Amino acid sequence: MRHLTLASALLTSMAVTTPAIADSHLMIVDDPLELTVHMHHKRYPAYDEDWPVEQEARRLTNIHLKNATVGSNTDNSGEAINLLLASGKLPDIIGTSRIKDVVNQYGPQGAFMPLNDLIEEHAPHLKAFFEKRPDIKAAISAADGNMYYIPYLPDGKYGRAYFIRYDWLDQLGLDLPQNVDEVKAVLEAFRDGDPNGNGLKDEVPYFARQWEELIRLVTLWDGRSSGSDTYHDFYVDSGQIKHPYAGEGYREGVKNLAEWYAEGLIDPEVFTRGSSAREYLLSENLGGMTHDWFASTSGYNRLSSEIDSFVFKAFAPPASISGKRIEEHRRIPIKPDGWAIGGTNKHPVETIKYFDFWFSPEGRNIVNFGVEGVHWTMEDGKAIFTDAILGTGRPVNSQLYELGAQLHARGYFQDYGYEIQWSNEFALEGIALYDEGEYLIDQFLGVAFNEDEQAVYDKYWPSIRTYMLERQQAWILGTGDVEADWDAYMGDLDKMGLNDVLAEMQSAYDRQYGS
Amino acid sequence: MTDLPASSAGSANSAGEQADGASARPMQERLVWLADHFKREWQIYVMLAPMIIWFLLFLYKPMYGLQIAFKDYSIFRGIVESPWVGLEHFETLFNNSQFLRAVKNTVIISALSLIFGFPVPIFLALMFNEILHALYRRTCQTIVYLPHFISTVIIAGIVITAFSPSAGIVNTIIGWIGIEPVYFLIKPEWFRPIFIGSGIWQEAGFSSIIFLAAIAGVNPSLYESAVVDGASRWQMMWKITIPSIMPTIIIMLIIRIGNLMEVGFELIILLYQPATYQTADVINTFIYRQGLQSGQYDLAAAAGLFNAVVAFVLVMAANSVSKRVSRTSLW
Repeated sequence: MRHLTLASALLTSMAVTTPAIADSHLMIVDDPLELTVHMHHKRYPAYDEDWPVEQEARRLTNIHLKNATVGSNTDNSGEAINLLLASGKLPDIIGTSRIKDVVNQYGPQGAFMPLNDLIEEHAPHLKAFFEKRPDIKAAISAADGNMYYIPYLPDGKYGRAYFIRYDWLDQLGLDLPQNVDEVKAVLEAFRDGDPNGNGLKDEVPYFARQWEELIRLVTLWDGRSSGSDTYHDFYVDSGQIKHPYAGEGYREGVKNLAEWYAEGLIDPEVFTRGSSAREYLLSENLGGMTHDWFASTSGYNRLSSEIDSFVFKAFAPPASISGKRIEEHRRIPIKPDGWAIGGTNKHPVETIKYFDFWFSPEGRNIVNFGVEGVHWTMEDGKAIFTDAILGTGRPVNSQLYELGAQLHARGYFQDYGYEIQWSNEFALEGIALYDEGEYLIDQFLGVAFNEDEQAVYDKYWPSIRTYMLERQQAWILGTGDVEADWDAYMGDLDKMGLNDVLAEMQSAYDRQYGS
Repeated sequence: MTDLPASSAGSANSAGEQADGASARPMQERLVWLADHFKREWQIYVMLAPMIIWFLLFLYKPMYGLQIAFKDYSIFRGIVESPWVGLEHFETLFNNSQFLRAVKNTVIISALSLIFGFPVPIFLALMFNEILHALYRRTCQTIVYLPHFISTVIIAGIVITAFSPSAGIVNTIIGWIGIEPVYFLIKPEWFRPIFIGSGIWQEAGFSSIIFLAAIAGVNPSLYESAVVDGASRWQMMWKITIPSIMPTIIIMLIIRIGNLMEVGFELIILLYQPATYQTADVINTFIYRQGLQSGQYDLAAAAGLFNAVVAFVLVMAANSVSKRVSRTSLW
């Protein structure tokens, strides 16, 4: 056995693959073992044994997964997992998007198996990973201190960035805006200077596909709009849980954004234009500035073939009123997606070894890139896609989903190398710019409530959130005045239980991350 | 042996009236008659069966689950194992000003759509009935039926586009008469008219079918004798058509009242914004946000139960009023 492992290590390092011998160290069982699996994600509502990635994993580990997905007729994974739980019969493995709250709530009741001891004893790769990343271990632990699922861990830090029409700036003789006042001046120039040159005052200076990205601008007044990649989320300020919509910077930001809105610097239809806003406003040569994803937004530079000198690129976050440059959005290091072991699984040891397989170097390459020799080859220690993937002209990620790779209903650690190989040059340029400036800030990774905390949160939070959003839109639209309403607003939040919710979150946070 | 349970049941029914021996004979005859009846009419019962099974499976069986409104429901523990909490969820609801607002909005939106929406299909049916040219009539009918077949998502898209301040047809038209564009969809005061109006546009044509059918059922000899008596078309409509279809109108009205609390919330969810919650948030959207999005099935069940009880009271009241006033009723 020892000698086989040595041989395989040698062979892998030489990038020569003779699979049958090289990979036998990954075998989990001598005789094939079948495990049932529920795997649900809106992109693939059931587990498919024929995915090339699965065939490869089966060959290497001798673990055979059998599809037992419930609710394949819906694309709502939450409904599917609830159906599964209500049926009372859980398969051996349960993988789905949004699994975190489910396992943290029902794991302690016995529906899912705690993983800590299993990982400690049987999963060297997972163990090494969690030793290196105690923050991730803390973030996925339930209120009882146990881990109940192995998450999908996205790689790469950058998500959204500020984008602006560089060619419009050139045409109007303006520099890139460096602070909030300059942003305002640029937006005014976009509004009045007719940069698209059609003689009409039809430019939309700031637009957003999600109206929440308008609220994101409160960071320019030192406010916050969210603590994570979920909108309206709580954030942590030196160990204290706070809500962004109850802070002074937010108040100042909303006051100013309301003025910008009234002056026509912001898309008047920002609340209803919806997901097609970017496509429409850019291709009609109307939109000036937005805050959106690096990769997909950079892709719009293809419009330069239709619109003269069109350049829509990322620029560094403008300095706030106090001079801070932050980019509030980033890819969260842990998603609430992943997989767990059912409470009635008869083979927990084999299952955790199987989970561990996907964290081994070999498993990680398979789950990120597909099958070696077919979809990728090893070059200088890096997996590089072959023409079978890059040569088709189709989006790489959707091709990978079809192979069974990059499935978020499986616990795995993404490798950013998979994305960088097909990122557009403008995106890479923007990412380099953001890397240089270190604009990212820490994220709130969520808390796991115990039952009492959960009850308080459930009772108060949905109504508070509704109220906050109602006031927020009213202020921006000018049907309310944030300065005049603020004290009453804070009083209402208190009456509605915001402080109770914050106290419960704080106690959960302290327990989970250690104060 | 076979008629023993039957006779005892018979005696229970006719308790204190007759002796056992006397009731056994008619009971036996009735059974024979029933057997004959089934043998003769079994096809009808087979046709009825799917509907009965559907009712049992999808309407009666789920009633068992209503108890979660009174429990601290955990999906994994299941309905039976979850602990009782009494009226806690109802207390939570009635202490929530947003729920009370949603109740108010539900009633207002329903009442307004009843007042404005209910008469429209009747008008349409009467108007179609007056069109004599068959091809023209069929064309008109098709045009007003069409929106019924469009999915709600598309309807919402059409509404959002039509009322958009920059490109919408509505603002373009009011722009011609010199009015500044209005951002209708984020103004609370415009939500109800837009919602009710688009509802009428979508459903009025299709709902007129039932009234057209009722009109087609009016005895032609009534019209013939009216013509002989020299009645105008207008008089015929008022004196013959409308009175003849009145029972249909009343029945439809009672059914509508029974559904009063059921606002079509898909369209609301697609159209509303936090800025318009004030007038747009109804019980069903509240349940959706509070209950389903955050997984509080027990609370959602409590809100749903409240909704159903109010609807039940409304339909009972409408039925009994109608029975007394017009002698037409559902039961």
